[in-house]
Amino acid sequence: MRKRGQRAGSAFVLLWIGPALTLILVVVVWPVIEMIRASLLRISRSGRTLGFEGLGNYLDLLAERDLPEILLRTLVWVVGVVVVTTVLSLGLGQLLNQRFPGRTAVRWAVIVPWAASVLMTALIWRWMLNNYFGLVNQVLMDLRVLEEPVNWLAHPNLALLWMMWVAVFVSLPFTSFVILAGLQAIPNEVYEAARIDGAGPLKTYVMITLPLLRPALLVGSIINVINVFNSFPIIWVMTQGGPGHATDTTTTFMYKLAVFDQDVGDSAAMAVVNFLLIIVMVLLYLRALRWREEVG
Amino acid sequence: MKRRLIGIAAAGLTMVMALSGCGGGGSGGGDGKTIKFIAAKYSEKTQPYWQNLIKEFEAENPGYQVNLEVVDWEQIDQKVKTLVQTRQEPDILNLNKFSDFARDGMLYSVDEAVSPQVKNDFLANFVEVGKYRGTQYGLPFISSARLFFYNKEIFAKAGLSAPPESWDEVKRYAQQIKAKVAGVYPLGLPLGAEESQAEFFMWAMNNGGGWVDASGEWAVNSPRNVETLTFLRDLTKSGLTQPNPETTNRKDVFNLFAQGKIGMLNGAVFMPTSFINPVNPNLRYGVAPLPSKDGATHNTLGVVDFLMAFKKDDGANKEAVSKFLDFCYAKENVAKFLEDEGFLPVTRSAGEALNSDAYLKQFIDQLPNAKFAPTDDPAWQAVDGAAKQRLGTAVANTDPKAVLDQIQQTAEQNSE
Repeated sequence: MRKRGQRAGSAFVLLWIGPALTLILVVVVWPVIEMIRASLLRISRSGRTLGFEGLGNYLDLLAERDLPEILLRTLVWVVGVVVVTTVLSLGLGQLLNQRFPGRTAVRWAVIVPWAASVLMTALIWRWMLNNYFGLVNQVLMDLRVLEEPVNWLAHPNLALLWMMWVAVFVSLPFTSFVILAGLQAIPNEVYEAARIDGAGPLKTYVMITLPLLRPALLVGSIINVINVFNSFPIIWVMTQGGPGHATDTTTTFMYKLAVFDQDVGDSAAMAVVNFLLIIVMVLLYLRALRWREEVG
Repeated sequence: MKRRLIGIAAAGLTMVMALSGCGGGGSGGGDGKTIKFIAAKYSEKTQPYWQNLIKEFEAENPGYQVNLEVVDWEQIDQKVKTLVQTRQEPDILNLNKFSDFARDGMLYSVDEAVSPQVKNDFLANFVEVGKYRGTQYGLPFISSARLFFYNKEIFAKAGLSAPPESWDEVKRYAQQIKAKVAGVYPLGLPLGAEESQAEFFMWAMNNGGGWVDASGEWAVNSPRNVETLTFLRDLTKSGLTQPNPETTNRKDVFNLFAQGKIGMLNGAVFMPTSFINPVNPNLRYGVAPLPSKDGATHNTLGVVDFLMAFKKDDGANKEAVSKFLDFCYAKENVAKFLEDEGFLPVTRSAGEALNSDAYLKQFIDQLPNAKFAPTDDPAWQAVDGAAKQRLGTAVANTDPKAVLDQIQQTAEQNSE
């Protein structure tokens, strides 16, 4: 009797979650399976599938001599952008949480980089950094900081720093609003209690605000890690990962394998590796923060 | 954030649907009279040209229908590849390569695709470029050649009267320009990813080097090529080029030349129509053969784009395809396309039609000696990709020999 009721219950549940489940299967699971399948196939440059390749594409990928450097750069890119974004956003969130005249206007202004297309932002920065006509060089030369124009995007390290700055710039709005929401969720009584106990501003911030912000920081940085890791338009527009592979991350490298090297199999293998990398990164991060204790 | 994720998911889904052929069947019912033609977009004039031509063709051949799709150069590779993967390949395609399709047995040979008159009208060296393993599959359609452009005003200011013929002169003249003319770059050298393979090849072929040796084997890291790249590196390090050739694309230096900021460079036939006339029609420039190491023999780089016809439905489309191709290759039709787009002829008849233009004639005269990239070799696409990405680094931080060794390795890995 009880068993039957349970079964009817689960069928009923399936009816409710069915559409969502189907959507996930079609939109998430299927592409992943296709991606893994493509990485195991031998695909001619004409586009014809020539047969099963096994792990050959992965071996080809591992033989790429630029790969270690690209992996390392991807790590620097992700960690650098996310850490700087988070630190700046802590300040910005605090500012937006204060009462001051024109606060609404400032809050809207902070959203702008988010609302603008990333592609457009990257294009504008590329032009501002242009060697011949760029605004950045002109201003710096007018201020006598520079004597002659610097070709910012031609030197791999400078280019990487500028691209990281653009990535920070477009990640700030989301992060600072997540932190703002976190700040607003902290009850005022806690601060009053701290004041009565005689805690100074610094102590209050470190002992009370930061710990209570943990959930917000956690959500913000995980989404940022995924986003920055997959970030393609900034690098593609500003340097195409060049010269050579000197500013590639694994994401742009994956694209170049398909477009420049015309090797769909290798590119799919890189896509699978990217997929695994991001999962591993997020798991490590969650583990480091012992999120189960936090949420549970 | 969420919208982005959904966007990515939607893109993924679309791709999967396209990959597995759910995107709706291709047009053309298999009656053999309706064909699909995918053309590359050269300029704004391309689409109207083909639309017009197809209208005329359909009027002359009742019952036949050509479905046209004009695709941007940046997307066409990916587009065609997806179509092939889903077995929806076009009947006729206009692209800059054909050998992969020929190797996979997808194309009609020249004898099947066009009439004998059209076949015999192709210029001999273009026929060679259209061959895969001895049989011609690629039907040359348009070509382009490169010559050396120099700014006469800058040369006069530097006390130079004629363009350089040898590499020594290139360097000496560049030094002279650097010393005497302020605010200009003596030599334009685009080694960015857009076209570095072409720029390098032009210098290499005028030093007896190139992609393959006399027997057709890959020889990317030959001593001549190393010497060539070392010479270009030396010019760069001596400050005789625009800054950072490794990140400069062709269109950047062409624009700078049009603005009168570059003394000399390897230019293309479409320089005046696309770059100089729109911004600076009064620019005083001269055109000369590409300089060579010894200054004696001068080669030029030829580029050729093809039409090709795909076998479909056991040859049911053959009649319609060859009817349309013959129509395309009619003398006045080809000549009109070349004039619209500023390219050079690949057929004798169109060549005669265009010979009266003094500017074009300089280029047409070079065509019989033009050298081509080995596009007929199936490994070429991989080599081309590796070269585009890597060559520039040889004038920056990497040793020229090491760069060429890597490209050679790519070539050997991709050869069967």
